[in-house]
Amino acid sequence: MHDEAGQEELIRLLNAVAHQDREAFQALYAAVAGRLFGLCNRLAGQRELAEEALQEAFIRIWHHAGEYHSDRGSPMSWMMTIARYRTLDLMRARKVRQAEGEEVLADLADGRAGPMESSLAGAGNRALAGCIDELSADQRDCLLLSFYRGLTHEELSTTMSTPVGTIKSWVRRGLLALKRCLER
Amino acid sequence: MKKTPERIEILAAEYVLGTLHGGARRRFEQWMMESGRVRQEVWYWEQKLGGLAEPVPAEQPPARVWERIEGRLWPVANKPAGSRIMAWLWPGWSLAATAAAMVLAIMLVQQPATGPGLAGAVVQENVSDPLWLISETPSDRGLRLRPVAAISPEAGKDYELWVVPEDGQPLSLGVMKLGNVYRVTLDDAARDALSRSRTLAISLEPEGGSPTGVPTGPILHVTQLYEL
Repeated sequence: MHDEAGQEELIRLLNAVAHQDREAFQALYAAVAGRLFGLCNRLAGQRELAEEALQEAFIRIWHHAGEYHSDRGSPMSWMMTIARYRTLDLMRARKVRQAEGEEVLADLADGRAGPMESSLAGAGNRALAGCIDELSADQRDCLLLSFYRGLTHEELSTTMSTPVGTIKSWVRRGLLALKRCLER
Repeated sequence: MKKTPERIEILAAEYVLGTLHGGARRRFEQWMMESGRVRQEVWYWEQKLGGLAEPVPAEQPPARVWERIEGRLWPVANKPAGSRIMAWLWPGWSLAATAAAMVLAIMLVQQPATGPGLAGAVVQENVSDPLWLISETPSDRGLRLRPVAAISPEAGKDYELWVVPEDGQPLSLGVMKLGNVYRVTLDDAARDALSRSRTLAISLEPEGGSPTGVPTGPILHVTQLYEL
């Protein structure tokens, strides 16, 4: 569903869902639930919580489909964002601890060594992959651990054995550097 | 706190990343409600950081997630084969029972969006939910069977769907695997036969379907469709 025709179909379905079309809602679910669930599951690291987050995300999509517009990005990116926020909310509400020391970092390093960036580039996101690459290693680890694992400043601090103040500054500088790079 | 451009920029980024949490996150959501400028900045980051989600592989969620969504959004419609409908329908219809399963058809509650067509359900006595919900989609000459309470056949067996014509041999509509909505496009002969008899059957066949082209196993269900 990355192609233009796919995105147009998603827009058509969202539009129908905004008019309470249940068949369109089911078709939308069939089309995107797999992508959303993959993200929820990666973020939560727990299938049960991921399932709940996916459920919450679709309930939100049903009620808010009419709020989608092109300023919010592609329909897929809009729905992925909803799924990500619902997962983060549940993780924080349940106090799911994501800081498990070296394990999380090692996991991330594996992903970063190749597959993640090559697939980012493959997904038509060369600019983003290139800019992530320009960050310092510390900044990059902070950003990717937060994005993919939902780590908070405190959890990053534990995981990376670094004071919270330093972590906060890595996150902020990393984000600003990323924006400057993407705007070049 | 004043909404300076620098604060908006960094707080929006941390909001989207997820590192902004607790009270700070809620206060920032208040900012989003108050200011279009703040929302624009959030949308910028949602699109940029959203790119990171693209390489995450898709994973099929279990069927219960969809069922729970339907249950939350439409708690009543979730039980279309409720006893009230059965009680209303029962005196009007008496269909032949085959094998051990007592089978009858009920009208489908859900209206297809594509316009009127045939619809029905495969139900079984003592099972409160229908086994399958059936709807015709005339626009693409299709038939959809959505498994609801149907259970998988024993190992080495498959369910095969048939159109039962008014006379002559049943016409196969293929083998139905459980788990997904089964969709089949009707050819002219099947469409013609179905429009007159409005009768479908499901038989239990060796894996891959009947080797002979006609039902070889027990006919488990016979169901009649209705015009919506």
